[in-house]
Amino acid sequence: MPNSEKSISSSAARKNLGHTLNEHRALAMLIFLFLGLSVFAPNFFSIYNFRTILTGASLSAICAVGFTIIFILGQLDLSIGAVLMLSGMLCIGLQPALGWTGSFLAAAGSGVMLGLVNGLLVSKAKINSFIVTLGTQIITFGLMHLYSDGGSKAVNDFRVADMLEREILWIFTPLSLITIAIVLLFALMMTRTRFGKGFFVVGGNSETAWLAGLNRDRYIIIGFIICDGLAAVGGALFAMKLASVTSYAILGNKTLLQVIAAVIIGGTLITGGKGDIVKSFLGVLVLISVNNGIGCFGLGFEVQMFVNGIILALVVLYEAYTVYRKNLLKGQRPNLLQELEKSKA
Amino acid sequence: MPGKGEENSSRFNRNRQSMLGRFYDKAGIYVIAGILLVIGVFVSPNFLTGSNFMNILRAVALLGIASCGMAFVVYNGNLADLAIPSYMAFSGIITVAMLPWGLVPAIILGLLAGMLIGALNGLVIGKLDANPILWTLAVAYFMEGFMRFAWSNSQLYPDQILETSGKDTAIAEHFIAIFRTDIGPVPLIVVVMIAMFLILQFVFTRTKFGLQTKLVGSSREVARSTGVNVTKVILLNFIVTALCASIGGIFITSMNKLGVFYLGQGYDFKAVTAVVLGGMMQSGGKGSMLGVFGGVLVIGLMTNILTFMGVNTFQQNIVTGSIFILVVGIHQYQLRKQGKDYA
Repeated sequence: MPNSEKSISSSAARKNLGHTLNEHRALAMLIFLFLGLSVFAPNFFSIYNFRTILTGASLSAICAVGFTIIFILGQLDLSIGAVLMLSGMLCIGLQPALGWTGSFLAAAGSGVMLGLVNGLLVSKAKINSFIVTLGTQIITFGLMHLYSDGGSKAVNDFRVADMLEREILWIFTPLSLITIAIVLLFALMMTRTRFGKGFFVVGGNSETAWLAGLNRDRYIIIGFIICDGLAAVGGALFAMKLASVTSYAILGNKTLLQVIAAVIIGGTLITGGKGDIVKSFLGVLVLISVNNGIGCFGLGFEVQMFVNGIILALVVLYEAYTVYRKNLLKGQRPNLLQELEKSKA
Repeated sequence: MPGKGEENSSRFNRNRQSMLGRFYDKAGIYVIAGILLVIGVFVSPNFLTGSNFMNILRAVALLGIASCGMAFVVYNGNLADLAIPSYMAFSGIITVAMLPWGLVPAIILGLLAGMLIGALNGLVIGKLDANPILWTLAVAYFMEGFMRFAWSNSQLYPDQILETSGKDTAIAEHFIAIFRTDIGPVPLIVVVMIAMFLILQFVFTRTKFGLQTKLVGSSREVARSTGVNVTKVILLNFIVTALCASIGGIFITSMNKLGVFYLGQGYDFKAVTAVVLGGMMQSGGKGSMLGVFGGVLVIGLMTNILTFMGVNTFQQNIVTGSIFILVVGIHQYQLRKQGKDYA
């Protein structure tokens, strides 16, 4: 008798361990990668490199914060790649006229406006968010090319760029500290405030949200404003760091792909109702570290894409397989005999 | 939800369905195409000429072929296949790489290579029910990395491939001529596009496979309990999608005279735009192939008219995006009024 009990509890414990590991898979992957790359990749383990990783993650990480919120709401925003490019372009283009503060605010404002448009179209006009953001992506790229005339914009003022990449406490820079501050701020908002928790309710079950008196439309509009606003902030900071932007749509699209991959690795569900901003941030760090490690081995961009694609594919596959298996085993009780014996005793 | 009761009752109340709404549902996109035709006549005297129409058709032919494939995925309720650029580029690269074996075997191998990726997508999405957007995105990413890696970021020129393998370079000229062949006054690619639309319209409406696709798109659960092999249908759908995109890939490779990983980029979103403009809804099981052809035609007409008006490409994108949201918004509103929108 105790033997069978033990087997149940041990299988339960194994299940629990697997569950915990899956819950924190972004962290587990990051630690595993970190140890592996530190041992095997030449020049990976250095203060300078860690600073590079943290600073390099800032664009995707800031975008991933908003994107997680959109996923939690059960929506999709394909326009962030275009929004961040437009915002970066505005930030550099307006700098001579408005100064850095003014141009930064204008750039962030452009993101907020586009977010408002997206949110209104999704919530009030009730158009599928995939369609809406596909359309606004095309429009925003058009606006970006129109503003930049298909060329690039640059400024001669490198003070802000230098300031953003100054070293603080060995591995941090102002840019990475701003990123971490944004991540923590929104993570606290989502987990600690009643307003933030509402996003989970709206995304998980809109009928419950309606019964609980939450205004679904308002949440969706605010979600899109946060997402596109943050994408614009990320794009503006990225442009400030480089002091120039080229109207090269690929950068926006690659960031979009990276953000989607990071958010999925972080365990946020595309169907809505579940997600964690800090885990998405860790997901971004995983992808950036992988790319950095591949660079350390002297391999090129193509290997990075290849590996990133495989990671994303594996995570999607794993997630689909878990659901598939759960549905397959639905209603089955593999330990029925032991359970019966236990209840008899 | 506040308005749910109303929606439910109107869903069964056929009489309240407006004539306009029903007409819009069937042929809305051709109304827009007609309006564009009228605008076009006023914009330029050169608009209403045979050669201009042939130009429009030639310009949208590639998009049309890619949209044929995308339509299947949208029709069976799988939102979108973002791996379409990978099918196109991969089939093109394989065709060019296999040219020493002869033109026809190379093309067949190219199509098979594209269909292989399609089969992988179909298997994962059909069997495991993975999210189609995320999975195909991952595959597109992975395939681009793979193609860059395997051919070390370089472009494959047909004549060079043939020279290095010591074969007759005439095959390369035949391959390059595929895109440039005319059948009478009509380019081959336009003939292929129209033939594909007609065949697929027939498949959609007259064959068991097409009807099963519609059922799977409308409701997977119902299809499953009716006895439809959902996995098989979705697998076949993705293979057809990949086949269509691969045909497009061979044309685009022939047009560019080289095989390389970036060919076909952008055709994923463009094809979704055309398909959804043509009245296929993301909820699946709705719309027709002729509608999709209308969507492709509208995009071609719009680009043509805007070019006549002297609008540059960037401004054209803004107009296209706005019209896209507007048309789809109106269509969805009409469907909701009829109680037909279950998305």
